Amino acid sequence: MRTSSLAGLIFANSDDKLKKLTANRSMASVPFGARYRIVDFALSNLVNAGVTSVGIITKENYRSLMDHVGNGISWDLDRKNGGVYFIPPYYKRGVKRFSGTVSAIAGSTEYIEKCGADYIVLYDSHVIANIDLSAAFKQHKETGADITVVYRNGILPEKSTEKMILGLEDNRVKEITFSEESKETSFGIGVSIIGKDLLLKLVSEADEDGLTSFAREVIAEKISELKIYGFEHSEYVAVMDNTATYYEESMALLQSDVRKQLFNKKRPIFTKVRDGMPTRYGISASVKNCLIGDDCVIEGTVKNSILFRGARIGKGAVVENCILMQEAVIADGATLCNVIADKNVFVDENIVLKGTKEKLCFIDKNQTL
Amino acid sequence: MKSKKCVAMLLAGGQGSRLGVLTSKIAKPAVPYGGKYRIIDFPLSNCTNSGIDTVGILTQYKPLELNDYVASGKPWDLNRTDGGVHILPPYHTAEGGNWYKGTANAIYQNLEFLERYNPEYVLILSGDHIYKMDYAQMLSQHIETGADCTIAVLDVSLEEASRFGIMNAHDDGTIYEFEEKPKVPKSTLASMGIYIFTWEKLKYYLTEDEKNPDSSNDFGKNVIPMMLSDNQLLKVFRFNDYWKDVGTVDSLWEANLDLLNPKIDLNLADKNWKIYSKNTGMPPQYISEDAQVENSLVTDGCEIFGKVDYSVLFKNVTVEEDAEVLYSLVMPGAVIKKGAKVQYSIIAENSIIEEGAVVGEEPNATGDENWGIAVIGDNLTVGKNSKITASQMITEDVKEGEEV
Repeated sequence: MRTSSLAGLIFANSDDKLKKLTANRSMASVPFGARYRIVDFALSNLVNAGVTSVGIITKENYRSLMDHVGNGISWDLDRKNGGVYFIPPYYKRGVKRFSGTVSAIAGSTEYIEKCGADYIVLYDSHVIANIDLSAAFKQHKETGADITVVYRNGILPEKSTEKMILGLEDNRVKEITFSEESKETSFGIGVSIIGKDLLLKLVSEADEDGLTSFAREVIAEKISELKIYGFEHSEYVAVMDNTATYYEESMALLQSDVRKQLFNKKRPIFTKVRDGMPTRYGISASVKNCLIGDDCVIEGTVKNSILFRGARIGKGAVVENCILMQEAVIADGATLCNVIADKNVFVDENIVLKGTKEKLCFIDKNQTL
Repeated sequence: MKSKKCVAMLLAGGQGSRLGVLTSKIAKPAVPYGGKYRIIDFPLSNCTNSGIDTVGILTQYKPLELNDYVASGKPWDLNRTDGGVHILPPYHTAEGGNWYKGTANAIYQNLEFLERYNPEYVLILSGDHIYKMDYAQMLSQHIETGADCTIAVLDVSLEEASRFGIMNAHDDGTIYEFEEKPKVPKSTLASMGIYIFTWEKLKYYLTEDEKNPDSSNDFGKNVIPMMLSDNQLLKVFRFNDYWKDVGTVDSLWEANLDLLNPKIDLNLADKNWKIYSKNTGMPPQYISEDAQVENSLVTDGCEIFGKVDYSVLFKNVTVEEDAEVLYSLVMPGAVIKKGAKVQYSIIAENSIIEEGAVVGEEPNATGDENWGIAVIGDNLTVGKNSKITASQMITEDVKEGEEV
């Protein structure tokens, strides 16, 4: 049976940029935006562009990701033809575990060959955006590009990690450099489209040559041989560089234009269904400027915060400038300020916990205070 | 095909005419409830949670929305290879065809479906009620007592009893008489419209009932009395938890606001008995700096900038600045614009209440007799600064400044 001509290849593990948040899970399964995991944005963007087959390359700590994605049912990816394929490391005597994007893609050769698509979207999982990939794909075919790199035009944030900087002439990429300098520029956001055959050829050559980074050592090096185009994504993009950007980008969701861009009604973001009840606000609840998932029960005061599904805020409790992940329980009278609480924490009655904007307080997963 | 122990048949063809404009386009079981559910989620989730994996859904009135909603049964884990959910509309045969004439006739017309599964027992349900019930307990009582039919009953007050079908039973639960809406009730055991039949008996009595041209082919009116007069063993199954018929505008409104009442025992957050529903890709809810939300249920996709108190907001509802929603149900996609006031009302799906409009009135604002919940039908616009009085049922757009 014919499948979609576009398939996705998601890189689930970037590195340990988010420190404690990625200590026990892959970047792709980091919770974000009151009810999502970061991978939901990649999967939804792909599915909304008609993709029916997605490979997810995982390296380590991928249990929570497998639990979240499952058979792909929440994204309509539970399919006979196509669907979700996990590509975990394949251990074989004499074969080294992959160390960069080149060997990661090389290790996915079998998937790329069999997925039935002529084009592949390479997707870094630490990018949060609602990208119109069908428009990008259309442009890719119209321009006859070898590679189309999705970029954002804007000012790189302070303390960001190195980004792929594009020198553009009428959307044609003439120059690629790598920089972390905070200035206005066109930078790649870790999403690109490439023909299947070209990808396999480039990767097998690079792998034989022992190269590591596909962007830096293959694409940037071959810029004169390849026809590379940029596709501008002019809306909200969050690139998870460190815990500070994680916090800032989460809080950015409290702005209505950011929500409008990220939660575009024509391209909905899907996530695993949890079947919780709607959020209940108690008689004494006071909630100001908050983004809240369902299944919460709020009886206290919550300001400028993100509450994930199933959070409980007791009577008289005060939560301010916080990110509380799934199933957090804040008992009566407790006070939390500038705190990121990982999943399933319990904060007992009248406990006071205050971080600052510069130095956030972090509560580990499953911790009881 | 291997046979099933118990197959459920869910009667979902009713119009629910007392819900007026709320069921003008959809069947009653598809009416939204509790922020993210529809009424049919309750019997379907109860089936799944009770271990029943084969459900026939009998549809007749306005089935489009219901068919679309149930689809493959995925949200309720009823997308099974063996069994699962089946939509059963009336059909034609070489000899002609008929609409479902009554509850019993609807099942009679689908005896072939039941024969395919050849169950030992058949559970008959309706799609009109909000309750959480373990049908497995009812089934084990049915098997233990060796009854031919077991009927779930609720102990109601004596005043209420004359609104229900009443089962007069001996102390051991054996039913000796059925009375439909008795003026002078002998007992207070009201039928919940939930029956378990031993399959062979059901088949026999449905076939007998069909032979009688004077029968209205109804379980309560015809089949149960016929079985009683034949000295079959009919037992009551007592149910003591929350159960509500949402057949009228007032009861639908009440049943929703019951979710906000801590004294009422309907816990939808119970992880051991989840009520499943179809989920779509909605963003989280946003409560603004100036919003005031208390004592309410709010669902994914809502954006609240105004005041919400004692209300249930369904998915994707917007309440703009200085708007107020009090003691009301606002169904999916509705928008309450700046400065509008909605009180003691039900706003159906995707309707827009324009700036400054006032919908509904407080109970003591009018003479008690006329007061009731105001209802705005789906996909309507209630114009700027218009006023809708209590108990109105709005079926057309309301013009700017108009008073209805």
